[in-house]
Amino acid sequence: MLEILAQAVINGLLIGGIYALVSIGVTLIFGVIKIVNFAQGEFVMIGMYITFFLFTQFGIDPVVSLIVSMPALFVVGVLVQHFLIRRVLGLNDLPQIFLTFALSLLILNLALMLLTANYRTVHTWYSDEALHIGGLYIPVAKLIAFVLAMALSGALWVFLRATDLGKAMRAAAQKPEVAMLMGINPNRVFCVALGIALALAGAAGSLLMPFYPAYPMVGQVFVLMAFVAVVLGTLGNVVGALIASLMMGVAESLGIQFVGADSGLIVVFAMLLLTLAIRPSGLAGGRAR
Amino acid sequence: MGGLRNWGMLSLGVLVAVLLALPLVVKNSFVIDIFIRILLFAFIGVAWNLIGGYAKQLSLGHAAFFGLGAYTSTILQIDFGVSPWIGMVCGGVVAALASLPIGWLCFRLRGPYFAIATIATAQVLMLIFLKFRDLAWGAEGTTIPNLGHAPLMMQFEGKTAYYYIALAMLTLGLAITYRIERSWMGYYLVAIGEDEDAAEAVGVNAPRIKRDIYMISAFLTALAGTFYTQYIYFIDPNTAFNFSVSIEAALVSIVGGVGTLWGPVIGTVLLEATSALLQSWLGSSGGVQLTVYSLILMAVILWRPTGIMGFITDVYQRRIRAHGGSVQAVLDA
Repeated sequence: MLEILAQAVINGLLIGGIYALVSIGVTLIFGVIKIVNFAQGEFVMIGMYITFFLFTQFGIDPVVSLIVSMPALFVVGVLVQHFLIRRVLGLNDLPQIFLTFALSLLILNLALMLLTANYRTVHTWYSDEALHIGGLYIPVAKLIAFVLAMALSGALWVFLRATDLGKAMRAAAQKPEVAMLMGINPNRVFCVALGIALALAGAAGSLLMPFYPAYPMVGQVFVLMAFVAVVLGTLGNVVGALIASLMMGVAESLGIQFVGADSGLIVVFAMLLLTLAIRPSGLAGGRAR
Repeated sequence: MGGLRNWGMLSLGVLVAVLLALPLVVKNSFVIDIFIRILLFAFIGVAWNLIGGYAKQLSLGHAAFFGLGAYTSTILQIDFGVSPWIGMVCGGVVAALASLPIGWLCFRLRGPYFAIATIATAQVLMLIFLKFRDLAWGAEGTTIPNLGHAPLMMQFEGKTAYYYIALAMLTLGLAITYRIERSWMGYYLVAIGEDEDAAEAVGVNAPRIKRDIYMISAFLTALAGTFYTQYIYFIDPNTAFNFSVSIEAALVSIVGGVGTLWGPVIGTVLLEATSALLQSWLGSSGGVQLTVYSLILMAVILWRPTGIMGFITDVYQRRIRAHGGSVQAVLDA
């Protein structure tokens, strides 16, 4: 019994690492640019397909393909900020919500048209490998994904704390007018923020590929998780999003283990609605707005 | 202004006459089907517009109410033999009651997070109906027993009767919107939509107004759910709680013009006509329709955030100015 519980917790933590990459991106965009990116899941999907094609065309390992998927999505992020999102900043909720929502619909349905709804999988030499530690079963592909996800999250944290650009980003998030007076170009900071957030989504896609199928709708699973994690972890709070994502992974995994195979999402949504009922400002107690 | 009013009444009269006479002239069932879809989605858009357009509470979970309406009437019909006409009203009441706890939860959040929370509620309802087979047929769903021509059970031969039902529903939705627009509630809604905190500061009871309009919106959306199930003779959690219902409800209003009486209708005509053209052109291959919808939506947001109605108003006002500010001069020109 204890072993089953421990196994479920480990499974949850491992997938929670991927949720964290997506959630941190969403919360970073919200914190800095003050918009919610409904299309974040679709960028995970793009990352997955990039990895899939690099693997099938050139035999490049998914982990190595990070050096393509992350820069590629960084560039996409800069373009999306500069040509689309910049134009709705300072307007009311409606254009801000429905611009990224339309972008999500567009990317998803273009993928459906061009790539079909078929599942694409990548099978690496470590896809079926697993470590056995004291009766526990740890798949290597998920472990690699988890470790790299944590490393990237840590790197982002250091970047935000220690570098001038990171500090400028946090300044622009807290007081955009003052930051501007201090000589920070908000659009440039916003471009970098969206670039980083999308690069993280691309990384999530690459790391998922050895053990998760790619299909056009795949992003929706992850973006819903991310939204819940971001509310749980207090909007705009990077560390909060990280911890909440790991919790959600565990909650989902426990749901699958003890309630039934398709109940993972119910548990997660129930968590969201429960959070809204009890602590609408999130676990860290920030503002709900 | 008298001239303008008469012109408005006249064109409305012509429109009603054309819509009433249409099934007598058009016998092609493919074309009638398109018109039924337009009327139905315009009605759902009108229902969404009350909460999403006037009060600017941008719900992306109206499929919850659509599905509740569909399931309530179908369960009543198949398990208890109750006519869908009665079931339709019951479904509306169930949805209106469900909007109370849903609103209680979701109105704690604002803007994008309100939208996300409403998505979650619709998804939870879908998962509940998928998971609990004892409740209602699980994932397989069920077909509605075909009784042939049975008007009392909302079943008809041919599509004409369905067309008139959809037309009646849309008329009801527009009439309700028209009344609300011109009542104190309409002004409160617009005030909440403009700035909720400011509205509360001048004494508008925002939570109560939002709760009430959400109930009305939920009630109307549920009627559409019952009608749709009766029309296609089938129900399952995926069609009843489909996210695309939530999307289209919001999309038609935004493209047409949020917070306007005719916005959702104009938006639906544009989107559904485009979709019908695309289908006859490219076939109904996956993704084409929503690709085009999302491009239209993006174009509207970037260039015309007030929708087509806003565009029409702008052009109209520019012409009035060009003609020395007299409405009559424009009409005579």
